[in-house]
Amino acid sequence: MSEGGVLILGRAAGRDLLLNASDLIEMLPAVPVTPLPGPLPGIAGVILYQGEFLPVLDWVALPGWEQSLAEATTLAVLKRRLALPLEFLSGALEAGHEGVRIDPSGDDPWAPFLSAICTFEGSTLPLLDPDKLIDWLHHRRTER
Amino acid sequence: MDQPFEDVWAECEDLFAQARQTLASLKESQPAYVVQASVNALFRTTHTLKGMAGMLGFPSFSRSAHRMEDIFDLMRKGRLRSTDSLAETLEAGMQALEAGLEGLKRGRPEPEDYLHGLRRELGELEALARPLSGESQDLSALLDLPAEPLKALSDYERTRVTSALMDGIPIHGLVVCLDFATFDGRLRRFSDGLAHQGEIISTLPWEVPEDREGLAFMILIAGASLDLEVLAAEPGEILEARLLADPVRVPQSLRAEVPAELESSPLPVEPEPEAPTTPVSQESEILRLPAQRVEALEARLMSVAQLRDSVSGLLRGWGGDKTEAPLEILGEMEAGLLNVQKALLQMRMVKVDTLFSRIEPMVRTLSRDMGKPVRLTLQGGDLEMERGIVGRLGEPFLHLVRNALDHGLETPEERRALGKAEAGSLRISASQRGRSIRFDIRDDGRGFDLARMEEKGLAMGLLQPGLSASPERLHRLALEPGFSTLDRASQISGRGVGMDVVRAEIETLGGEILLSSEWKRGSLVRLTLPLSRVVVGCLKVRSRGQTFGIPLGNVLRVQVGREVYHGGDKVKVLGLEIPFESLQVCLGQGDPPEGQRAFVVLSQPGGTAGASLEIALGVDEVQGRAEILLRSLPELAQIPGIMGGSLQEEGILWVLDPEVVLGLAMDSLMRRVAHV
Repeated sequence: MSEGGVLILGRAAGRDLLLNASDLIEMLPAVPVTPLPGPLPGIAGVILYQGEFLPVLDWVALPGWEQSLAEATTLAVLKRRLALPLEFLSGALEAGHEGVRIDPSGDDPWAPFLSAICTFEGSTLPLLDPDKLIDWLHHRRTER
Repeated sequence: MDQPFEDVWAECEDLFAQARQTLASLKESQPAYVVQASVNALFRTTHTLKGMAGMLGFPSFSRSAHRMEDIFDLMRKGRLRSTDSLAETLEAGMQALEAGLEGLKRGRPEPEDYLHGLRRELGELEALARPLSGESQDLSALLDLPAEPLKALSDYERTRVTSALMDGIPIHGLVVCLDFATFDGRLRRFSDGLAHQGEIISTLPWEVPEDREGLAFMILIAGASLDLEVLAAEPGEILEARLLADPVRVPQSLRAEVPAELESSPLPVEPEPEAPTTPVSQESEILRLPAQRVEALEARLMSVAQLRDSVSGLLRGWGGDKTEAPLEILGEMEAGLLNVQKALLQMRMVKVDTLFSRIEPMVRTLSRDMGKPVRLTLQGGDLEMERGIVGRLGEPFLHLVRNALDHGLETPEERRALGKAEAGSLRISASQRGRSIRFDIRDDGRGFDLARMEEKGLAMGLLQPGLSASPERLHRLALEPGFSTLDRASQISGRGVGMDVVRAEIETLGGEILLSSEWKRGSLVRLTLPLSRVVVGCLKVRSRGQTFGIPLGNVLRVQVGREVYHGGDKVKVLGLEIPFESLQVCLGQGDPPEGQRAFVVLSQPGGTAGASLEIALGVDEVQGRAEILLRSLPELAQIPGIMGGSLQEEGILWVLDPEVVLGLAMDSLMRRVAHV
């Protein structure tokens, strides 16, 4: 699956997750998000990033979310122009050091936007697939 | 593509844009020296294009550019006279080269001869310019000059002297004696001043008077008279004018038909009151920058704006009298930053006229070739668009104009039979709609044959048998690859490879294309292209704790009163009853429970006051007008009714898309009526 590169380990929406560093532009300290002037599923609002508006994901809109959302400390800026608010960053690991990867199970509510479930130091960690996540967001928009 | 190659392509595009402008000026009535300067500029342009094509490895392009260069050389040597038909042939030639360049950029193979379609016209011109005796006339001996400087004249300069004298234009010499320290700048200044008075043929080194030090030159100029006053010589500078050759000394048998104004005006005549055209020597310097540098500068400027906002926020937090002065300074800084942002935006923009200037000769050539007279109207050329977008619209417009003339407009005979004017009408207009530019291409031709299109669509499997297709769907069939209702393709169009190219290019630019028509009445092709950034004049309003901007072009009236309105009410404005709906509701934020006292009457643009759609849009507060830099929202953050936003001191100001808001308001009002 991942050959070389770095995986970022973080926590969002009460769940530990992995992000492929090659999918990211950068990690930013969290800044206030301006809400949009109307409901938009999956998007919490926008921030100004490099002179342009950048949408920020609203984890609450993702299926399976049941907990209260902790305040984000970091924003992971995806190359596909979406910021993911993270509660914290736990670290990074060389790709290949994570354990066996398996396809996400259909029982996992995040399955539609994961590329794999990895095992690392006894934990199972979902690896986020930005393309799938953004496609899912687009799909939600058109469903409205 | 490599940056150096990008630069060469971009420079070629600039050269073609300049050539279009210069060629268009050849058809206007202008003094001979201005025409000469234009022809010289075109000669240099084609020469440069030839060199660049060689450098890029396109020998065939280089050969064709060389042929055009030769024609311009014949013109500048006076062996071809500038006429409208010559200018049209040259326009067609440059157009063929420009289209060829566009093809090369897209990776198409080089044709054998870019000027193949003009081979007859160009051959005739070359034959016409060939001297009958095998050599050209030289009248430079008529110049009242010593032998040495006379020998120093180049072939080209001799040709120009001869041509001017044969045209009845006298040759003057202006001796200038200048200081060593400043001679270059001063000589350039004199040359620029003289360029308004005639054609500068040569600048020769001249003997310095015995009692003087410095450098002297003799400037040879062809013109009716010289006005030395305007040259504003400085103390100590010597200016001395003399007549070097009078056309009356040209043997009658060699004299061309002398222009009436020169024949009847004894020397000296009044100088031209003002120069209509900027001489080539005064062209301003063009600075070429990679777009990324401007983008980086914009991003830095944005960081500065954010810092300014942070400081402003801190000061407001502290409060008190002492913060008033710094806040005022920050306000000025904000205005300054907006000006710089606008200036940066300006650097990326070109007028729509640059696109129109390519369309005009295209239409003329097609109209002539097809024998269909056309009345072309172009509107909105003053609007500005990003240079990159304009550059990519050339090919789509070529297809659209070809289609309009080939398929849309009928022949003069057909039009007469239908009771239409013999000349067809083609109207191309550009208008700004918020963060988009809209191009409407309308013709008054036959329109789309929807029955035939349906038949073809079914045959091609694009439509499902048994299901009726809407007119919109049928029109859109024209945008499908390979779709054509013509059984035989003409030289111009009909191969079904045009409109899909238009669609692909417009969609790549993030735009939309819409087709509509009325049978036998005409067609409309509407292109809507997004502008990434644009400065918009807005009315600032507050609603549910957020600030919004409404483009002023859509605001008919603003009213703040005592009466409270709720969604579905009617408000009376100037005797008219207008439905009221709250902006909050339009944006899906629910009804304001207390109602609203302020509203803005929004109108659909383009309609007359009586016929247009109007809504009284309820808001909490009206704050006034502002000019803002609008940034578009990324697709994931787009919500209906919002066209973009702008960073303001109080946070993000959301700019409404009035047409969409009107639609949302109407939907909501209808739901209220239906109690849904």
